[in-house]
Amino acid sequence: MSLERPDTVDDGGVERTPDELEALLGDLVVDRDDHLNAPAFVIRPDTVQETLRTLKEQAGYDHLSVVSAQEYENRYESIYHLKKYDDPTQEVSIVVPADKDNPVSESAEPVFRTADWHEREAYDLIGIEYDDHPDMRRILLPETWQGHPLSMDYDKDRPQIATLPEHANPLEDHHKDAESDTMFLNIGPHHPATHGVLHLKTVLDGEQVADVEPDIGYLHRSEEQMAQSGTYRHQIMPYPDRWDYISAGLLNEWAYARAAEDLADIEVPEYAQVIRTMGAEMCRIAAHMLALATFALDINGDFTATFMYAINDRERVQNLLEDLTGQRLMFNYFRLGGVVWDLPEPREEFFSKTRDFLDQLPESVEEYHNLITSNEVFQMRTIDTGILPPEVAKNYGATGPVARGSGVDYDLRRDDPYGYYDELDWDVVTEDGCDNFSRLLVRMREVEESAKIIEQCVDLLEDWPEDERNIQANVPRTLRPDDDTEIYRAVEGAKGELGIYIRADGTDKPARFKIRSPCFSNLQTLPEMANGEYIPDVIAALGSLDVVLGEVDR
Amino acid sequence: MGTAPAQLFPEFIVDTLGLDSVIGEVAASLVAAFVVGNIILAFTGVAGPWAKRKITAAFTDRIAVDRIGPYGLLIIPAAAVQLLAKELIIPEGVDRPSWDIAPILLPASALLGFSVIPMGQLGPISLHLADPEVGFALVFAFASIASVSLVMAGYASNNKYSLLGGLRAVAQNLAYEIPLIVTAMSVVIFSGTLQMSGVVGAQTETLVTIAGVSIPSWYALVNPFAFVLFLTANMAEIGRNPFDIPEAPTEIVAGYQTEYSSAYFVLFYLGEFVHIFLGGAILAVTFLGGASGPGPESISFIWFVVKIWGFFLFTQWARAALPRVRIDQLIEIGWKGMLVLSFANLVLTAVIVGVIA
Repeated sequence: MSLERPDTVDDGGVERTPDELEALLGDLVVDRDDHLNAPAFVIRPDTVQETLRTLKEQAGYDHLSVVSAQEYENRYESIYHLKKYDDPTQEVSIVVPADKDNPVSESAEPVFRTADWHEREAYDLIGIEYDDHPDMRRILLPETWQGHPLSMDYDKDRPQIATLPEHANPLEDHHKDAESDTMFLNIGPHHPATHGVLHLKTVLDGEQVADVEPDIGYLHRSEEQMAQSGTYRHQIMPYPDRWDYISAGLLNEWAYARAAEDLADIEVPEYAQVIRTMGAEMCRIAAHMLALATFALDINGDFTATFMYAINDRERVQNLLEDLTGQRLMFNYFRLGGVVWDLPEPREEFFSKTRDFLDQLPESVEEYHNLITSNEVFQMRTIDTGILPPEVAKNYGATGPVARGSGVDYDLRRDDPYGYYDELDWDVVTEDGCDNFSRLLVRMREVEESAKIIEQCVDLLEDWPEDERNIQANVPRTLRPDDDTEIYRAVEGAKGELGIYIRADGTDKPARFKIRSPCFSNLQTLPEMANGEYIPDVIAALGSLDVVLGEVDR
Repeated sequence: MGTAPAQLFPEFIVDTLGLDSVIGEVAASLVAAFVVGNIILAFTGVAGPWAKRKITAAFTDRIAVDRIGPYGLLIIPAAAVQLLAKELIIPEGVDRPSWDIAPILLPASALLGFSVIPMGQLGPISLHLADPEVGFALVFAFASIASVSLVMAGYASNNKYSLLGGLRAVAQNLAYEIPLIVTAMSVVIFSGTLQMSGVVGAQTETLVTIAGVSIPSWYALVNPFAFVLFLTANMAEIGRNPFDIPEAPTEIVAGYQTEYSSAYFVLFYLGEFVHIFLGGAILAVTFLGGASGPGPESISFIWFVVKIWGFFLFTQWARAALPRVRIDQLIEIGWKGMLVLSFANLVLTAVIVGVIA
């Protein structure tokens, strides 16, 4: 079957038991503190690099998914969630407690480049400082912010007043001196091609980019904190729709649903899983259509026909989602243990509409190939620009179409199956070009794979016996997962690995809710792709990353 | 065919009204220029707020302006009022007066180009203002003043995006004006004159006669290779897709016009459209037999209008369909490709004409 992955013989393929891992790490391990998803080893804060390097180089844990940080009554804690690109079901968590009065911990940045931003975020929101970090600054909040909002002693009523002299000109250092022959240019936060409020601090050498630094946080809405103040059962589910709001809502909801269901041990009925799978793939098509549309906008310029054509196709799938969920953007359709309601009546009409959409999709995709991918100027612009080698992609924790466009064969739908994916026949798409063109091609081919999945789901749903259409499991009105249980679960969102870390504290609300945003990690790769290229290539590379700032900033 | 060059428009006014003095001639010239200028501005007025939107909408499966007036035509006055009523924002640190001159220079240079374009007959009137012996060279000279305006706007705006746009405009115009003019020279080799009426007149001769229909020797038919070269260079010269990189909204916001608003923006917008029409007019005169076409000579202006609007449609089509090239690729295409091809075309044409003639 297509879902079987090729055998890998390197060290990374070998699965080690938790005890073997503990033996490998030896003295580094201070304690065990297992999570629901993975064994977790507690280490000393000054051995982070050594531990992670051992795991990366000797045990093949080459994917640092996320760094989640939190404050306890008696300590601070950073957790490094490690996985393998070859097999993401092999997970291990490294727990690094830090002193309550002086929370300093060694940075993982020299081992995993992706830790750069993740640790900056932990510093910004929680207040842990990381030694040996190249650039320990705030990342989401303004530089003048007082306090760390997710720490325990944070005073939310304290007015955030920054006096003018205090609010130093953030660009002061960039002002050119007499000898410099480069030009500093702010691209964004309001610019036609930043796809939202993203600020690129760019240093130009003529038309070429000498340096680019993404500056994020303009759309930070405290999503993690909002989730922490909502109850598991009902109050959190509406929020995921607002992370990646480019109609990837159901994919996001699934990330929360998966983590919370595993945490509270909820079994989802098969029928609901099929509906979820179908709805999620519709969202993926909608999201990829918009990615294609805006990428065409970036390369072709405004008024390109491709943009409107792709928006038209997105509109069709959007109508299906509207029929299914009753909403066009903020679906709020999943519930823990299933979905909120069954397919719309009459069912036949919904099925035939869906089939109509699937029937005309190949024609549309063909048209896009005619319009853009087979156009020589378009190829000139996108092939061999924005190069992201697979090793660099892995080092930055890139996932989704960005990683698959660099030939990294990583897709959680297949590698860490959930929902109904492992029962269906479809393929994971990868391209080896590592360039802007490959990333676009991956998305276009994934649309076709998603269509295959939807078609199989429709077949299944059509023949589902009427008395077995159970859309929700029996879930208690109030969920109170056991105190001090921790879980990290991820799904394949439209942009990549969308993961949720939850720590329960015995109440009906999570004590810590951490979102692993794929766009956050993917956007970090931009300087790697853009440095030395021309301005238009930076725009193209940014477009090919397909970031949604709502998800980057959360 | 092959009629004698018609009387020029100012002379026609002088003769008709019997204004036989220097003052009279000056007045007649001004009136003629006023009429021709307004025809072009009227085209622009239709093209900018209405036709462009309708055409783009048709290409992209949309409806576009249809709320006010028949076919949405009254959007033209509405848009004019709206654009002019906006606040004119003068950014700090702009270099005046060059910041103010630039938006005037752009449409002016393009309008100036129409002074030597033979626009055909409308009834007894021949819409042709002047026919100097170097008319062909003049029109290119006028058209290239536009680059000066773009550089002025780009530099004086005190904005880095504008500066980038201005620099791109210079690089682009340098790279494409030379092939454009060299290709145009190959036409001069055929016609043997730089006078506009001569270039057009030479194209009225019959090339071949097929089934009783005589095909005129339009240079697009005589030398299609040069035509394609010229068309491409022309697109770059007027800065339209795939060569719209001086503005490139997704890259450098709006290039040289980033800081302009209200009336100044309108002037730039206007200037660009007049430039498209001038580009179409030059193309028509050089390769498409000027204003000539089937039917009586007295309505040949209509053919001229069809040709320049056809070119306008072509630019919009390219805009909806073609990706934009990158600045370095653009320069490479210009210097390494177009320049070589245009010289090859010139030499070949010279040899062929020399051998045959």
